[in-house]
Amino acid sequence: MATSSTNRTRTSIRILQAIMLGMSVIVLGRVFYLQITQYEIYAALGEKNSVRQEYVNPARGLIYDRNGKLIVDNEPIYSITISPANFDKDNIPFLATLLGVKDSVITARVNEAQNYSWQRSSRLFTEIDFGTFSNIQENIWRLPGIGHQIESKRHYPTKMKAAHILGYLREANQVEYEATPAMRLGDRTGKSGLEMIYQANLSGQAGLQYLRVNAFGQVLGDFKDEKIGRAPVQGDDVISTIDADLQIFAEEIMVGKQGAVVAMDPRNGAILALVSSPEYDLSRLAGRLDRDYWQSINVDSTSPLYNRAISGRQPPGSTFKPLMGIVGMHLNMITPDTRVYNNGAYIRGRAYRDVAPIGDYNLEKALTFSSNTYFFSLMDRIASQGKLNEWSALVKDFGLGVSNGIDLPSSSTGIIPDSTYLNNRLGFRKWGIGDIINFGVGQGMVSVSPLQVAQMTSSIANGGYKVQPHIVQAVRKSGKVLERVPTKVEKINWVKDVYLESVIKGMRGVVTEGSGRWYANLSDIEVAGKTGTAQNPHGRDHGWFTSFAPMDNPQIVVTVLVENGGYGSISAAPVAGLVIEKYLKGEISRQNIYNYVLNFESRPTNSEKQLDE
Amino acid sequence: MNNNFREFSWSIVFAWIVLSTIGLFAIYSATQGPVSQFLPEYIQGNFIKQIGAVILSMILLITIQFISPRTFIQLSYALYTLGLFLMILTLMFGTEVNGAKSWLRIGPANLQTSELMKIATILATANYLTSRRDISAENIRYALTAVLLILIPAALVLMQNDLGTALIFLTLIPVMLFWSGLPYGVSLFIISPAIITYLTIIEWYYGAIAVLILAAIIFLVQRRIWLTFTSLITGILTIAGVQVALLKILQPHQIARIAAFTNPSYDPTGVGWNVIQAKTAIGSGGIFGKGFLEGTQTQLRFLPEHHTDFIFCVVGEEFGFIGAALIVLTFLFFFIRMLNMAGSHKHPFAQLVTVSIAAVFFVHFFINVGSATGLIPVIGLPLPFLSYGGSAFLTNTLMLAICLNMDLYKREFSIYR
Repeated sequence: MATSSTNRTRTSIRILQAIMLGMSVIVLGRVFYLQITQYEIYAALGEKNSVRQEYVNPARGLIYDRNGKLIVDNEPIYSITISPANFDKDNIPFLATLLGVKDSVITARVNEAQNYSWQRSSRLFTEIDFGTFSNIQENIWRLPGIGHQIESKRHYPTKMKAAHILGYLREANQVEYEATPAMRLGDRTGKSGLEMIYQANLSGQAGLQYLRVNAFGQVLGDFKDEKIGRAPVQGDDVISTIDADLQIFAEEIMVGKQGAVVAMDPRNGAILALVSSPEYDLSRLAGRLDRDYWQSINVDSTSPLYNRAISGRQPPGSTFKPLMGIVGMHLNMITPDTRVYNNGAYIRGRAYRDVAPIGDYNLEKALTFSSNTYFFSLMDRIASQGKLNEWSALVKDFGLGVSNGIDLPSSSTGIIPDSTYLNNRLGFRKWGIGDIINFGVGQGMVSVSPLQVAQMTSSIANGGYKVQPHIVQAVRKSGKVLERVPTKVEKINWVKDVYLESVIKGMRGVVTEGSGRWYANLSDIEVAGKTGTAQNPHGRDHGWFTSFAPMDNPQIVVTVLVENGGYGSISAAPVAGLVIEKYLKGEISRQNIYNYVLNFESRPTNSEKQLDE
Repeated sequence: MNNNFREFSWSIVFAWIVLSTIGLFAIYSATQGPVSQFLPEYIQGNFIKQIGAVILSMILLITIQFISPRTFIQLSYALYTLGLFLMILTLMFGTEVNGAKSWLRIGPANLQTSELMKIATILATANYLTSRRDISAENIRYALTAVLLILIPAALVLMQNDLGTALIFLTLIPVMLFWSGLPYGVSLFIISPAIITYLTIIEWYYGAIAVLILAAIIFLVQRRIWLTFTSLITGILTIAGVQVALLKILQPHQIARIAAFTNPSYDPTGVGWNVIQAKTAIGSGGIFGKGFLEGTQTQLRFLPEHHTDFIFCVVGEEFGFIGAALIVLTFLFFFIRMLNMAGSHKHPFAQLVTVSIAAVFFVHFFINVGSATGLIPVIGLPLPFLSYGGSAFLTNTLMLAICLNMDLYKREFSIYR
């Protein structure tokens, strides 16, 4: 019995030892399998776990005016981000409570982020207030996959609106961020104005940061190998040609009117001020989209989003006459001394009315008193001698009817008709002299933008040089190197000084003796200009005034269009006079005219029709 | 204490020291690492507490050597009764930690009563089985009484919602009965449902194949038709039972835990997350590990329960295969040595107690490391001598001390047969 018991004991021990040995070998094999056979898989998994890739947003470039005054900068906004791969959808109600929005809003955003990328982090909510932001930060360990970001939005430190120049940013749409590899969901991109044209400069380059995170999403610091990260490259600063004080002043006096002001340096085409009225408020479009405001400016019947200064297409009216004189002299149709008698109308098939005093007119006088007869007869002769296309080409040399290449989006070309245009528009050879005579006084099918009128005026003022209108003079890379934007100034080779001489005399006369004498005549600055009234079939006529000063050494060209303002002499000329005075003197001496302009109202429905002044 | 200390089992003590030291390093890494300021404060203090437990255990280990081994026999029933009483107290007044209500606060000490009950149950059942004449378990009445002695505390532990410890009690049944003379075939029959269940969870037909193989072995060993037949029927019922349990009876979170075992990506953020993170920690350690305090899974808390149930992963990640293999081989040496020690005893009580304690250590080891490496579904059990936990460390050392004591006095002890 004892022996069998001993045997049994010995066998039992061996059995138990065998079992333990066998199972331990299985465990050891398993460990070997995980640590050596599958090492690659788990090493990668471990790395992915604890290292998170974060984008570091670059500061968007700043925008300065010509005197170095800051006009666009950035201010911080707080955003919540999501990495869908780590996010647990059960947390949606909790997150919704923290953010104070409906569950469905979050669900929709989460799905959108998921469709964009399962692994990369994208913005879930931007521009939350600081209280909510800190609340989420405190609870972030309960919300795996949720992160936060401090970003910035555009801020406008001056009183300047300049909505049509500066433009606004909006979140890039799917097409845009798929086309640009550097762009992510929720990134903002310039959608109008300088923000759009200089997007590539202003945006900078997002940096990449590799952070160590723990299982609760708490950031513990930089990942040790910093070489794989990338520092953000700050956006370039843009130095515009705008004079902020002048721009603010021009905006102020255009309040309540529909129209445009363009102030340009005639020596190089730099835009000093560019106002399209009514304006809209960029600061309300800077952060999270204010849908009500966006809706309201979109449906507004005065179309505030429309840039009247560069996209407008209006007949230039009498402001076209100085150029007519120049072209007429070059075509040898007239000389400065050519005289035309005005008896109240020009008769050619029908009577073309002329409200200038009856009498004999040479070119200078015809400009000063804006006689239509002189230019009707000139246009009649051009057309009759088959020089319409030649005329059109010469006019285009002054920048009308052709694209002007300004660095702003959607500038219009305007129309300077030639035979091809007329054939297309009215039918092959179905047009005649009656369709053309009006061109001589800037009516009919001739259409231009205020910017183009300013460009043309510059060429007259600067002695026949075509300038390239531009609104940015330099770009400053983050390394502080200033890169000038090249400007083009080109002599229009057929323009002779003698052409300009009498035209400028005539334009000076407009301000001293003609229709500009009440509102545009400054006591110590010699202003030269031309009024105009564009026929408006839909309501009251549009008033024009284009001018430059000082006459002998022009430093500024100002072109003003007041829609439905009636005569240019009473609507546009006072505005231009004030802008010139403000720019050259720095202050306004004629307080009564300033008050007059502030109180001036356009009356769109008044049907007081006048062909000319 | 007139014994020859050359007979003292120094090698086992050495293994104990190796394991405790590795454990202290791992707990230090998990609670005092470079980013430990993100840990809750009560966890940061655990390293110091564990050092206290180790020192206390050393004193206990030495003190126990001055006691006569007969004391364990004499005190066994009293201890068992006291243990049951404490267990019931725990059920009524205990505190809950991680869902298990197994802690009883006595003065300043927070006691895990089920740990003490393990020792009491082993001593009492061993005493009961070996004080009978003849090979006791062959008598069905004695065998059933022994099973009852184990099942009562097992049921109480289950009521405390501590599945892991309950499993430890249940494994005592086949081990102790087997040692006390239960025929090999019958012993195999008793543990066969566990094997079949495990394989059925992976694939039901693995279970079916196991039923056939086990029945064949039982027939070859025992040559009893009725036993073979019963084992076949039991096997089939086990497979059916597991299927029904998976589909109808188990709670969703239990099913999730089992599903996550067979397919961790089934629930990558919930239960499966633990499995994936544990395997990632071990796997990313490679051969040499990431270095002490350098394990990202551990330090960045991707590893759940890193200083208790998943301590093996900490070592696996920071010390690699070298560290993990050292643990496994040390444990293996430890088990083999303990069983040899049991074989050298003349007294059946000493034999049975030593074997039972070795089995308890082994099951702890296998379930813990098996869970961490994804071999078996996650069952929360500490790794003896490594995991943080004062009660567990003290009771584990106490069990070891009892074995060493009986070994030390085996010559005089055997006289009292």
